[in-house]
Order: sequence, then structure tokens, then C-alpha cells
Amino acid sequence: MNAEIDALIAEADTLPKLLRHHARAHGPEIALREKDLGIWRSWSWRRYYDHVRDFALGLKALGIGEGDVVALIGDNRPDWVAGEIAAHAVKAMTLGIYRDALEEEVAFLINYGEAKAVFAEDEEQADKLLNLGDQIPSLEHIIYSDPRGMRKYDDPRLMSTEALIEKGRALAAGDADLFDKLVEATKADDVAILCTTSGTTANPKLAMLSAGALIRHCAAYLEADPKGPEDEYVSVLPLPWIMEQIYGLGKALITRMKVNFVEEPETMMHDFREIAPTFVLFAPRLWESIAADVRSGIMDTSPLKRALYNFGLSRGLKALENGRRSRLADVIVFRALRDRLGFTRLRSAATGGAALGPDTFRFFQAIGLPLRQLYGQTELLGAYTIHTADDVDFDTVGVGFPGVEIRIDQPDANGVGEVVTRHPHIFSGYFKNPEATAADLRDGWMHTGDAGYFNEAGHLVVIDRITDLAATAHGDRYSPQYIENKLKFSPFIAEAVILGAGRDYLAAMICIRYSIVSKWAEKNRLSFTTYSDLASRPEIYELLRKEVETVNASLPAAQKIAKFILLYKELDADDGELTRTRKVRRSVISEKYGGIIDAIYSGRDAIDIDTVINFQDGTTQRIQTSLPVADLASPKPSKQPAKAA
Amino acid sequence: MAHILVISDVSLRFGGVRALTNVGLSVEPGELFSIIGPNGAGKTSLLNCISGRYRPTAGAVFYKGQNITRRRPADRAKLGIGRTFQNLALFQHMSVLDNIMVGRHHLLRNNFVTGSLYWLTGARSEELTHRRRVEEIIDFLDLQPVRKAAAGTLPYGLRKRVELARAMAIEPELILLDEPMAGMNLEEKEDMARYVVDLNEEFGMTVVMIEHDMGVVMDISHRVAVLDFGRLIAEGLPEEVLADPHVKAAYLGEEDELLIDPDEQAVTEATA
Repeated sequence: MNAEIDALIAEADTLPKLLRHHARAHGPEIALREKDLGIWRSWSWRRYYDHVRDFALGLKALGIGEGDVVALIGDNRPDWVAGEIAAHAVKAMTLGIYRDALEEEVAFLINYGEAKAVFAEDEEQADKLLNLGDQIPSLEHIIYSDPRGMRKYDDPRLMSTEALIEKGRALAAGDADLFDKLVEATKADDVAILCTTSGTTANPKLAMLSAGALIRHCAAYLEADPKGPEDEYVSVLPLPWIMEQIYGLGKALITRMKVNFVEEPETMMHDFREIAPTFVLFAPRLWESIAADVRSGIMDTSPLKRALYNFGLSRGLKALENGRRSRLADVIVFRALRDRLGFTRLRSAATGGAALGPDTFRFFQAIGLPLRQLYGQTELLGAYTIHTADDVDFDTVGVGFPGVEIRIDQPDANGVGEVVTRHPHIFSGYFKNPEATAADLRDGWMHTGDAGYFNEAGHLVVIDRITDLAATAHGDRYSPQYIENKLKFSPFIAEAVILGAGRDYLAAMICIRYSIVSKWAEKNRLSFTTYSDLASRPEIYELLRKEVETVNASLPAAQKIAKFILLYKELDADDGELTRTRKVRRSVISEKYGGIIDAIYSGRDAIDIDTVINFQDGTTQRIQTSLPVADLASPKPSKQPAKAA
Repeated sequence: MAHILVISDVSLRFGGVRALTNVGLSVEPGELFSIIGPNGAGKTSLLNCISGRYRPTAGAVFYKGQNITRRRPADRAKLGIGRTFQNLALFQHMSVLDNIMVGRHHLLRNNFVTGSLYWLTGARSEELTHRRRVEEIIDFLDLQPVRKAAAGTLPYGLRKRVELARAMAIEPELILLDEPMAGMNLEEKEDMARYVVDLNEEFGMTVVMIEHDMGVVMDISHRVAVLDFGRLIAEGLPEEVLADPHVKAAYLGEEDELLIDPDEQAVTEATA
């Protein structure tokens, strides 16, 4: 345990107390920066504190106090974090709402929390609230930071932050020590934050988090990933999300690392480079899009630079395989690349929320980013597992922080069961929902609803939501989506459907990625006519076989794919096979391709197909072909396929 | 209220072509005034007469009561008339920031010589003041992501916005917009309409706008004037203008007795 941090959080056990402590001890030092009108403007701890004080007293003047809920909605800005700490100072609870939330979602959360006041950044957010009219009866005050476009409204609930500050100062004039007394009265165990759970399927629940739990969990996190006042952080994750609460508020207020707010979401990567932060957490999708931007930039550059890049990258990847770094590659490519991306000073980097493709993972590791995977839930104060610096495995989410206990409930024969976690700083229950609390939180253990297992190295592997798991006839549970995603990390695979529920073994229906496989075919002088023709070629089967074998190597024995076919057409949302967000519709697939699925499991090595495809322009094509079934147990690919008609 | 702009009986001829014939209009301060009409109706010619690119053959233009018919375009900018162009007129290789800074040119005291003595002549503090103003415009038009990009590399919709930014940098009281939404997609149009309304309401600029998108014009304009073959055929509130039979005829290409006078019939036929 870090004695310094322990001493600090023993004395200052709420966010307002931590802020006051730093404002007194480190007043003139930089706490926050915000890019405004093209220039980074610094906020000292003193100014941060004064701002929070004015806000808090303003809230008090509005009659907001213990037990009230203050909502916040908008981009990440100093006013957001200041508004949150100010609300905590008057013992109110804060409820962050995602800036892109729709009106109904905003209404749901405001009503659920019965929020009395809301900090709404600008006209865009205020519009949502005003449009809701009398659907949100609890709301008494809408406090906005940006006055642009607000003149046309005369709703009595509207108030600018300036007006709030004025009210606060007027109150302070009567009692100079008032704010100090308020801060002193804040308690670590009071619920401070109502944090929305992910709620992908239903309306979100609100997890009640106490300031003490947040701060103590941050301290445990800091042991796994230390930070200090010299660290720079760019706040780009949504502030209502637990992880940004951890970084932008908890960790920053403990360690005094500087929090930087970008000008606009669109200028993020640019501002990011100007700051060159020392720590970053991105969602897998963002990591992947950064990697893709690099690749497309390299395609547009001069042949010499491209050659240097390719040479450097292959050196770097080779060195990575042997657990080393290539110094030559660093000099010719990676140093410049890190600078371009704003990663020059990065000391720790993380991804979390979903799986990141191993190629992307390797790419960033090769260029010298210490990228690690995190895993956690809102109820458990965000991340509680991480890779240790010297033990990074793409397939796992690492090991628990110090003081975190994880067990697998009701494991099947392969050790797959529900991930159940306990640590001393978890949430205090769901807001106004004791039934859900009792269901998820039993004897202090949080039942996450996620399925996972521990691998030989003791790392936790998270597969999927338990409700989305399927089981084979032998009772081996597996996650179709987890395996499908692994397959889709291959550039040659566009879509994949894993079969095997109630069957003896797993099989895969794979759709090749036509744009890439056709280029591969051209390069390898393989002639073909259509998608169906290409997908039935033995060479392509051989190519995909290798990809499937690679995926199999990372799966436990019971979850390995035994057979696969390459489908003669791409799965399409227009045919109802995929949802609009490109998720596989299993019921439609099993109905439509029932014949093929039965044939795969009947042990035949080829399936005769006679079907009609509808194209978007209304034309139809009859397909008569024989679909080979690749059997991964046998050494050679199956028989020669027949031609497509 | 005193008119901010009065166009009094303006005619413009290029040889035998009558671009404008006896057009008379007046615009109130704070108004969002649109000029519409079919292609070749003389809308841009009228705008050019206001900004000073063309000098009317007859008639006069009054700005805040002052006859500006014979003033040079640069003088008119100083008086507070800004404009954008239908076909973009940006400096392609300069950054967005510098392009907008050009709009401040008439407000800068320092010149080539004094500017080189950066700290002595106040050029530094002058630049800081103007840069701040430019940044406020960048903020207003959400141009932050492209602040330092070369104007020529931007997509069309953004370039139009940079043009507007430059016109705003002049700090005009009257801003002339020549088809600000031409060639834009729906989303860009909605954004631009928002900016035009905001600069009218928040910045208090009087706007005279030429636009083809009738939906936008009818939604945001306070008053509308319709030109056809160089003549003013209607003027009034958007809904009045929309209901005017002459306007319908102009847009459907029908013959209209309003446009036919013996003197001009030849011209009309030649153009048609």
C-alpha cells in the first residue's frame, strides 16, 4: 500500500475534501486544462476549488441539499466535474447522463432519479429538457454553461452558471465559512454518485456509489497502475461512465494528475497530440480506427516511406514475438508514429469494454505502447482486473487488483461459469430497486451475469453474457458470439455463425470477405467468377482452414470448431439474416439454413445446394452447387467441389 | 425605423442585356431578407450592385441613409457591408485561420513595415486581439477541427462555412450571402440555416441572402423579394410571396403580363 495515498484518503475521504486539501496545499499548481478558442487554458487547484465553492453555494441557495439528485449532461468540461463535486459538497447525489442520450432516455433517467436540478452544457442539451415539457415534473432548475442560442427561451427553470455563481457568492457574503462547514459535513459512506449501468437490453439501472468506495477503489487501482502529479490525462471518455469517474475525478483528485479537456469531440486526436498524455483508455473500436487510419495514411504516402514503414513494422512484430523490441524499427518508424498519434509520453494504455483484435493489439505493442486489457462493471466501481505489465495475453482480461476476489460460480466441466466478484469498495445497491440489488448482490458477492473461466496462467477470460451462452449435447457451454468475433478478427472472414447447440461438436458457417479474398485470389492467380464460385474453391478452403485453426488454438478443447463450410452468399440484413447493427439472427439462420446445418452434422463431406438468391435490384439468381464441408479433424481438405451454376 | 439599405430604382445594363430594370427595395435593420428567382433573374447582379462589384447604370444604393452608389467595394466593407460569393473565393493554400484573418484586414493598423517590428509597434497585441475575435467566429461556426487545415483541402460544405466566417470577420452590420447553401447536402444545409439564423439573432447582423432552396428561404426569412428577368415581381412575407400568382408563373416558366412591355419584349424573347 502506498502510505502517502493512504494518509491522504484517510484525512480527505470525499471528493470535496480532496479538492479542498489540494487547493490549500497546492493552490497555484495546474489541476485542469481546457482548450478554449484554440488555446489551452489552465485551471489551478485554487480556481477549481473556488469554482466548485461558488457552484455549491449556488446549489444551496436554490435549496438543493441532502438526498436531492443533480443531473449532469454535456461534453466533458470543467463545469461538468465542478458541478459534480459541488453537488457532492451539498450532500446531493449526481446522475451523469450521456451527452448523446435521446429525449426519452433523458426523461427516463431524470424521472428515475427525480432530479431537481440539471447542469446542461448548452442549447443542444437544454433543448432536450425543454422539449420534454411536463414529462419531467421533478426538475426545477436547468443550469447552462454556454449562453449561445438561449436568449429565445424564457422558461423560468433556466439559469446560467453565472447566475448560479452570483447566488452562491451572495450566500457566502453572509457566512464566509459556510462552504468549509459544508465540505466538513460530507461523509465517505453517503451515496454520492448514481451511475447508470450499461442497459443494452432494457432501461439502465442506477448503481449507488459512495464517495468513499470510489476513492478507495481508485487507491487500489493506483497500486496496479500508479499515477502522480506529473501525469497528464486527456478526458475523452464519457463522464457518466464509471471509468471516466474513476480517471477524471477519483484518480485525478487523489494523485493530482492533470486532467485535460479537449476543445470539441472532433478535435480530439489533434488535441490529444498537443497534450501527449501519459495514460489512455480507449474502447476497442477507437484503437481499431486509429490503426486503420495509420494503414490508410501509409497507403497514400510515397513509396519510400511505405517501404520503410513495412520494413520497420515487420521487424517490430518479429521482435515482439520474441518478447523484445526492435531498436532499428523504433528509430526508423515507431518513434515518429508515436509522435504523430500523440503517444510519445504514454506510460500506460488500456482497452476495455469488448474484445480487441489480436492484430491490432500486436500492432500497438510493436510500436511501443504498453497496451493492456481491463475488465469490470459499474457495480464494482469499474475495472478490477488488468494485465500486469510483464504478462499481457490478448485473450484474457488479466488478474484482479489487490484486494479483489473473483470466483467462477457453477462451473461446467470446462470451468466456464458465472464471474462473481467481491472487493471492499463495491456499490451500495441499486437506486430504488432493492429487488435487483438482492438478486445481484449476495453475501457481498456481485453476480456479474458474465460467463468466464480462469486459464492455466490464472488469468480471467470473459466470454459473453451468461444468457447468451449455448451448450452442446455433452453440456459444454460456449459463447457463439465470442467465437464468431474471434473468427471475424481475420481479414478474410466477413461473417461467421457458430453452430452446435444440442449437437455433438461445434461447426462454423463462414462468409468470406469478398473484397479481400478476391484480391488474395488475384494475387495468387486463382481465376473465379462470382462470390459463390470463389467461396467454393479448394484453395480458399485451404486459406480459411488456416484461419480457423488459428482461432481454434486459442480456444479450450470443448469449444474448438470441428467443421466449417463457406457459405455461397453473404449474410444480409435485407434477407433478415442480420440485424441492422449487423448482429447474427440465430433463429432466422437456423430456419433458413436448417438443411445445410443438418447436413453438416450428418457427416457428409459435401452438401448439394439448389436455391434462389434475391438481389437488391429485384433480380434473382438460382444457385446450384455442392458445398464442401471442411473437417478439421482430418488432415486434408475435403473432396473437389462442383462448379456453381 | 430607418432603413439600413435602400435600393432605389436601380437598373443595370451590359450593352443590350438588361440585367436589372428599375428594381426598388428596402431592408430594415435586423432583418433576414431573401432574394429568390429563377436562374438568370439578376439576383447576383443586384447583390453585386450593393457590394460594389457592379455600378448600376441608373438608380442609387443607400446604406444607412448614405448614398454609396459610387463608393469602391473596399470602402463599403469599411462601412460595414460583408459578403460571401456563390463560387467560392477563398485563398486555397492559406489556412482556414488565415483566410478568416483576411476579413480583419481593414481593421488592422500595422502594415508591412511596422508589422516587422513585432513588439515595438503594437503589432503583437493587435494580432492577439484580432486572433481572439477570429477564434470566436471559429467557435461560432464550429470550425475548430479544421482551424489549421489549408482551405483548398476542405470539402465544399466546409469551404462555404469558411467563406461565411471571413465575411463575419469584417464585423459587418449588413451581410450579403450569395447562395450559402448551394451544393450542400441536407445536413449541411440545416447547419448553415442554423448559423444564418444565429448570426442574425445573436450577432444582430442584417442579412440579405440569395438562395434557391425554397424550404430554407420560407422557413428562416422575415421577408422575401422575387426577381424575374431583372424585374422585381413580388415582395413581402414568405407566405404572401409563395401565394403570389406572378411568382408561380415565374417558376413554372409561364408568360407573365407583368414582364411584357413593348420596350422589353424583344429581350424577353431572346432570353427565353
